Amino acid sequence: MTSDKGNKLARALPRTSLNDKLGTDAKLDSGSQKRIGDQLRAMYDELMQQPVPDRFKDLLDQLDKKKEGSK
Amino acid sequence: MTPEPDLREALLAAVPSLRAFAISLSGQVDKADDLVQDTLLRALANLHRFERGTNLNAWLFTILRNLFHSEYRKLRREVEDPDGSYAGRMKIQPEQGAHLDFEDFRKALAQLPSDQREALLLVGASGFSYEEAASICGCAVGTIKSRVNRARLRLAALLNVDDMDDLGPDSMTRAALQG
Repeated sequence: MTSDKGNKLARALPRTSLNDKLGTDAKLDSGSQKRIGDQLRAMYDELMQQPVPDRFKDLLDQLDKKKEGSK
Repeated sequence: MTPEPDLREALLAAVPSLRAFAISLSGQVDKADDLVQDTLLRALANLHRFERGTNLNAWLFTILRNLFHSEYRKLRREVEDPDGSYAGRMKIQPEQGAHLDFEDFRKALAQLPSDQREALLLVGASGFSYEEAASICGCAVGTIKSRVNRARLRLAALLNVDDMDDLGPDSMTRAALQG
């Protein structure tokens, strides 16, 4: 199981990366695929965890009020 | 149509994933937030076209993706630069949430053709099935599969090359910064 810090792991184990590179043909091996997937999700999760900017809450609130008023 | 409280909550709940997709797609937080805002406005204006019971997120992603591409077409000459000024812009500033850990990955992601980046983000990060991603992008399932595969291959190549290059001073810098 690769940890969420896939990038760090790759750094810590350069020989693994080298072996993967040498073993990579047109088809990506499952280890590399997993490492890329882990890094992608870790990067993405970090973005997802950012607080929602107020402008979006305000936007939806305003529209709610506008609709209420126009009833 | 009045947005019901449920729907308002659902739209709000979709914002983090829309932002993550938009930031990863465009490489710019400001532009991404504008995209998300335009997406919400367009969704609200077209609520009558949303089929209840279908996937709200997929619908919102479709809107965002179409908005991104209509803008992208206007900016194509500026954005699709082979010398990598777009890639340069992917170096999001630390206060915008990028950690050093992901710097190389972001750079590699920015080097992918946009159709491959988009497919990989939808399937590999946003959690959509190949079928949903194909519907969002308006293309065949096989096309999405092929784009995702090529994106992964290219990322693997880019990141492994980086690993080899980074055996020098950069990995020492990194170690120092992480220590």
